[in-house]
Amino acid sequence: MSRIESILSRLEKAGKIGEDAILVLILTTMILLAAGQIILRNFMDIGFIWADEMLRMLVLWLAVAGAVAASRNDKHINIDVLNRFLPERMALVVKVLVHLFTAIVCGSVAWHSLAFVQMSREFEDVLLGRIPAWILQAVLPVGFGLISWRYGVFTVKEVLRLFHKARPA
Amino acid sequence: MIVVGPILILLALLGAPLFAVIAASAMFGFSREGIDLQAIAIEFYSIAEMPILLAIPLFTFAGYLLSESGAPRRLVRLTGALLGWMPAGLAIVSLAACAFFTAFTGASGVTIIALGALLFPALQQAGYPEKFNLGLVTSAGSLGLLFAPSLPLILYGIVAEIPVEDLFLAGILPGFLMILLLSGYSVWKNRAVRVPLSDFSWKEVRSALREAMWEIPLPIVVLGGIYSGYFAISEAAAVTALYVLIVDVFILREISLRKLPDIMRESMVLVGGILVILGMSLASTNYMIDTGVPQKLLEYVSLMVTSELSFLLLLLLFLLVLGAILDIFSAIVLVVPLILPVAMQFGVDPVHLGIVFLATMQLGYITPPVGLNLFIASYRFDRPVVELYISTLPFFIFLLIAVAIITFWPGLSLALLG
Repeated sequence: MSRIESILSRLEKAGKIGEDAILVLILTTMILLAAGQIILRNFMDIGFIWADEMLRMLVLWLAVAGAVAASRNDKHINIDVLNRFLPERMALVVKVLVHLFTAIVCGSVAWHSLAFVQMSREFEDVLLGRIPAWILQAVLPVGFGLISWRYGVFTVKEVLRLFHKARPA
Repeated sequence: MIVVGPILILLALLGAPLFAVIAASAMFGFSREGIDLQAIAIEFYSIAEMPILLAIPLFTFAGYLLSESGAPRRLVRLTGALLGWMPAGLAIVSLAACAFFTAFTGASGVTIIALGALLFPALQQAGYPEKFNLGLVTSAGSLGLLFAPSLPLILYGIVAEIPVEDLFLAGILPGFLMILLLSGYSVWKNRAVRVPLSDFSWKEVRSALREAMWEIPLPIVVLGGIYSGYFAISEAAAVTALYVLIVDVFILREISLRKLPDIMRESMVLVGGILVILGMSLASTNYMIDTGVPQKLLEYVSLMVTSELSFLLLLLLFLLVLGAILDIFSAIVLVVPLILPVAMQFGVDPVHLGIVFLATMQLGYITPPVGLNLFIASYRFDRPVVELYISTLPFFIFLLIAVAIITFWPGLSLALLG
């Protein structure tokens, strides 16, 4: 058990650092590109055809990366009406159900996004001039796969806690 | 099959992430119609086909940066210099400063944390009753949501497919009405104390202006740029983000480079949370429109109401309930596509509908039992949440009056549109 836990926690730590780095990179690029485009267009009369498309791609990437980051501490927007009023143990059971549901849904979204990406690869769609579209679209299966993984880990941890509480050793 | 809907609703009420609930319902709908489930990815992917969405991460980041810098303190000082001479000066200063700040931070609860922490002790010290102060700071945390360039206004424009610039204009008078009513209440409530904050002094105004010289260009550039047609919304957002970044990190040096990644991350968690709901609801909305949900809704509503006026009343009641359980962002992306066609059938202007929608959802922030601002304030000021239910009640009532006026007087929203 403890070995699994230590591997999990190391994965978690690596994930956190990578995730933060990606978020910072996307947002910084976005700010510089969006602002730079305005400056170039207005003061030097130069425009990039690919800049608009790239910015839209960055929004998609940021949306997914942000969603992955939000799943780190289960910070996704939710309705929290009933949970506040449930007894502790019951709340834990509910959490297991809700997190398992989220893991399954995200896993399914990841799976079907993968099919979408493969299709785009077969059709050889191209974005930003010459980059294969599927590389940029791959953020969908990867992102939702990661969210699914996170909620899967939550579920396992909560189930363990539930048993731990049931049988205090 | 019939049980799926209630199960999903139950899961949502039990705290499942809303995007997952929406995704599940969309996928369930697709599979029932025999549509390949790849559709969910294709719909989500259309996030990359809406250029205006760029404004959301950029404005949100700028707002988070501002709230971590010295800007809240400077804003309070400047508002104090300009409005502090009025009776109940500090209370009015608080309302105005919060509204202004929320317009830039997008009503994410940041206002209470950034400004409330400054204003609450100041109000206490000035001798206002504690219950009043708690209520004021908590309610003011979502004031200003109707002022440009607030995030909900932009999101409504995107979802309803109407020009965001129109919404920016339409929100001005209703937003002022809210501030005016709450200010009036504050003056009347504190008629016994009625302490002006300070005498008006040009010297103080000058010095406060000088101190805030880096922030003052912001609203001018953003709003001036948008209204003059010089900037698109997303361009204004880009300029704002870069400008705030340079000023706070490199010129004033109030935010260290080391702290920057944390602020970026924190703001993007909110953005990711909103956009993932938007992406999933693009799929579920399309499915619902294809299967004729708005038409059914229209038929159903037509049974109950016949005129624009009675429709608006029904809408108001519905939105009050909605606002109590759903956050403003999810409510916009989920509900607007369904009620907009119905509202237009009853002769409601889409811009007016937007202002009514957001004004009512603003009330949701302080509606018990689960209004977000109640919990943020409870946490921030270390008070039991029930105490906040009570202290925000008078403010809630005055805001409700404002919302009713906004709802039944479309001219107030549409006057500036010409």
